[in-house]
Amino acid sequence: MKRLPAPVLTLIIFVTLAAAAPWLVGDGGVGLLFEVLLMLAMAQLWNLLAGYTGLVSMGLQCFVGLGGYTTIFAANSLSISPYWVLPLAPLVCGLVAAVSAIFLFRLRDAYFSISTWVFSEVAAMLVFITPGFGHVTGMTLETAREIDYETFLLVNFWIAAGLAAGIIVGIYGLLHSSLGLGMLSVRDNEIAAASIGVDVWRNRFIAYVAAAAGCGLAGGISFMAALFVNVTTGFDLNWVVAMIFIVIIGGIGTLEGPIIGTIIYYGIRELLTNVFALSGSWYLIALGAVAVTTMLVAPRGIWPFVRDQFGIEWLSISRKLPATAGDGSPNPKASISTHQPSRTRRA
Amino acid sequence: MVWIGTIINGVLLGGLYGLFGVGLALVFGVTRIVNIMHGEFIALSAFIALAISALFPSAHPLFLILPVVVISFALGYALQAVFVNRSMRLPDPMAPLLLTFGLSVIVRNLMIEGFGVNPRSIHQGDFGQLSIDVFGVQIGVLPLVTLALAVVLFIALQLVLRRTEIGRIVRATADNSEVVRLMGVRPSSVYNIVMGLSFALAGVAGLMLALRTTFTPFSGVERLLISFEVVVMGGLGSFWGAMLGGIALGVAQLVGLRLNPNSGFLYANLVFFAFVMLRPNGLFGARQ
Amino acid sequence: MLLEVTSLNAFYGDLQALHDVNIHVDAGESVALVGANGAGKTTFLRCIAGLIEQKRGGIEFKGNEISHMPAEKIARLGITLAPEGRMLFPSLNVEENLLMGGLSRRPGYWDLQSVYKLFPLLAERRLQMPNTLSGGQQGLVAIGRALMANPGLLLCDEISLGLAPVAIDQIYASFVRIRVEGTAIVLVEQDVKRASSATDRIYCLLEGRVTLQGQSRKLDTEELTRAYFGT
Repeated sequence: MKRLPAPVLTLIIFVTLAAAAPWLVGDGGVGLLFEVLLMLAMAQLWNLLAGYTGLVSMGLQCFVGLGGYTTIFAANSLSISPYWVLPLAPLVCGLVAAVSAIFLFRLRDAYFSISTWVFSEVAAMLVFITPGFGHVTGMTLETAREIDYETFLLVNFWIAAGLAAGIIVGIYGLLHSSLGLGMLSVRDNEIAAASIGVDVWRNRFIAYVAAAAGCGLAGGISFMAALFVNVTTGFDLNWVVAMIFIVIIGGIGTLEGPIIGTIIYYGIRELLTNVFALSGSWYLIALGAVAVTTMLVAPRGIWPFVRDQFGIEWLSISRKLPATAGDGSPNPKASISTHQPSRTRRA
Repeated sequence: MVWIGTIINGVLLGGLYGLFGVGLALVFGVTRIVNIMHGEFIALSAFIALAISALFPSAHPLFLILPVVVISFALGYALQAVFVNRSMRLPDPMAPLLLTFGLSVIVRNLMIEGFGVNPRSIHQGDFGQLSIDVFGVQIGVLPLVTLALAVVLFIALQLVLRRTEIGRIVRATADNSEVVRLMGVRPSSVYNIVMGLSFALAGVAGLMLALRTTFTPFSGVERLLISFEVVVMGGLGSFWGAMLGGIALGVAQLVGLRLNPNSGFLYANLVFFAFVMLRPNGLFGARQ
Repeated sequence: MLLEVTSLNAFYGDLQALHDVNIHVDAGESVALVGANGAGKTTFLRCIAGLIEQKRGGIEFKGNEISHMPAEKIARLGITLAPEGRMLFPSLNVEENLLMGGLSRRPGYWDLQSVYKLFPLLAERRLQMPNTLSGGQQGLVAIGRALMANPGLLLCDEISLGLAPVAIDQIYASFVRIRVEGTAIVLVEQDVKRASSATDRIYCLLEGRVTLQGQSRKLDTEELTRAYFGT
C-alpha cells in the first residue's frame, strides 16, 4: 500500500485525536484544547493575511468581538439556541470587512496596519455606546437555559476542532489553487504580479474578508461558550497580540508555523501560570523574550529554521513542472514551493 | 462660550498629543521603522518620573524633566544598540516592526509586575491644578506649559537638524545610509542617537502626562495609538505636520467628550479616519 | 605603491563577480578601469571602498591591509568613492552635501573655498537643492564632495554617465587640478577614449577578470577591443 502523504496522515491523526479527546484528557483538558484550537484557527488566518498576502493586520480582534456580540445578540433577540445563529457571525464580519476594505485598502503598509487597529477601536466604541448591547456590562447569553450543559463543552470543542481543521485544509486548498498562486505572487512582488494580470486588489480583498469571517466565527464560538461578552474582552488587543506572537515564533508564511507557534504559546502559558504559579504577566514576558530571540536568531520563525536545517517537509506544497517543455526539449524538473523566500531589503 | 473653552483646551491637549508623536516621527523619518515600543516608553517615563519625584518630594515638577530626559535617552540608545540595530540588518523589512512589538509586550508586562495595575499620578504641589482666567475661560497652566514645551522642543529639534553638523549627519543618513558610510559615518551609531532622542522626547511627554492625569502600565497602548495617528496625519516623518495633527486630534477629542462623555477616543479616531481617507499621504506627504 | 590589490575575488550570493583580480595604483597616478556593462568595474570600486563583504583576497592601502575593514574606517584612511549615479543627498543643499564630504576633516588643500574655486558654478548655487540642478552640475557636486575628504585615492564610478559632453569636459578638466594636488585617481568609464586620454595606465575588465593592462598612451585599439568584448 502506498504511503499516505504527510498532510492527509496529519488530518487523519488530528480527527482521531479530536474525537477521542474527552476520554484522553478529561474536562479540564478539553476546555484548554478548546481555547487552543480556536487560537490556532485565528493564528492561521492572521498568517494568511500577513504571511501569504502581505497585509499586516493589527485589527483582527475587531471581528472576534463582532462575532461574539452578533452570536449572543441574535440568540437573545430570536430566543433560540446560539448554535442556530452562529453562521451569522462570519456573515456579519465578512460584510463589515468588505465595506471597510473599500477605504482601508487605499492605505499602504504601516498606514494600513495602524488603521486596522483604529478601525477596531472605533468599532468597539460604537458597540459600547449603542443602546441594546449592554454598554459597560456587556451581554449575557439569555438562552443559555436551552443548552444541555452536559454536552455543551464537548460539542463546542468539536466545533472548534472542526473550525481549526477546516481553516487549515481550506488554506492548503487555496494555496493549491490558481487564486492561491496569485496571492503568493502578489506577496512576493506586487508590481510584477500586477503586470502579468493578477488582480492584486481582488486577491487581497478575498483574503481579508475570509480572515474576518473566520475570526468572526471563532469569536462567536468562543463567546457562546463563555455565555458572556463585553467590549473589553471582545475587542481586546491581546487577541491579535497572541496571533502575532504565535506566527512570529512559529514561522510566518508557512502552514506549519502557526501550529508550532500555538503549541509553544500555550506550552509557555500553562507552564508559567499553572506549573510555576507565576502571575499572568510573566508568561507574556517569556513569550516576548522568545519572540525577540526568534526574530534575531531565526528571523523567519522556528519552523522554517527546523525545516531548512533538517530538510523535513510536512504540510508545505511543492509544485512540480512537467518533465519536458512543450517543444520536447529537455527541461530539468523544477519545483516551486510556497515557502516564503527571504526577502531582500529594499534599498 | 463653553465651546470656545473646549476648543482652546483641545488645542492645548493637542500640544501633548504632538509631543507624543514627534518622537515616533523622528524615528520613522530616519530609520523607516515603526517603533511599537514608543507607547510603552511614554508610560514607562511616567513611572520613572514618579520614582524620581518620590526621591525629591519638594522639587518643582518641571525640574523632573532633566533626569527623565537623561534616563530615557540612555534607555533608548541602549535598546537600539543591543536589539533594534541587529533586526535592521536582517533581510526582512518587517523584522524591526515585529521586534519592537515583542519588546513592547515585555516592557508593558514588566511594568505590570513592577508597579502593579493601580492608577498612579504625580502630586508635586498644586502645579497640576493651577489655572488662569482668560476672558472668562478657565485655562489650565499645565496644559499651557505643555503646549509651550512642545513648541519649544519642536523648534529646537528643527534647529538641531537644519543648523548643526550632527543634524546634517542625521538627515544624510536618513537619505542614504550606504553613501553616508563613504564619508566615515556609521549608520548604526546615528540610529542609536536618534532612538535615544526619540525616547527622550517620549520621556518629556510621559512626564507631562503623569502630571496631568492618572496612569497605569496600560497607558502606553492608548498613547501609542494617538502617536501613530498624529504621525500618520502629519505625513510620516514631518514634525510640524505631527504638531498640527496633534492639535486636530486634541480638539476632536474634547469636542467629542463634550458631546458624549462616554465616547473615549471615538471622535479623535473618526477624525483620523476621515483625514487619512482624504489625504492618504498625510498633511505634508511621505518623504520622497 | 599606494594601493595594491592581489587575487581579489568578490561574490553576490552565489554569483562570482570578480575572479583573481590584480590591480595596483601608485601615489599620484591616475588609472582607468574600462569594460562593458557587468564586467565588474563597479564591484571592484565598491570592494576597495569596503561596501562589499563577500570577498577574498588582499587589498593593501599605504601598507595597511584593508580588506576586512568597514567602509566607514576606510573612508577615514583616505579612500573616497564618488559612487555611480552621483548619489547626492536629496535633503541637503549643495553646500551641505559638500560639508558632508569633509566630515573626516583630513588635512589637505581641499576645503569649501578651494572646491568653490575649482567649480565657481557651485558657489553660485550653494544653497540650492540637488534636484534643482542639472545632471552635469550634480556631477560637479559629487566630485567636490569627494574632494572635501582630501583623499589620497579618489575612486570615480562612471561620473560622466548620462551627462552632456560639455559637462563631461568640465569634469575631466577638474581632474588635472586634482592630480596636481597629489590625489591618485581610479577612473571607471565606458568611454575608453576619454579614459585613456586622462590617465597614465589602463586596465580592462571582462566578466570579472583583468584582460588587458598597459600604458594609456600606448594602447593598441585592436588589442583593446578584444579585451573589452572578449572576441
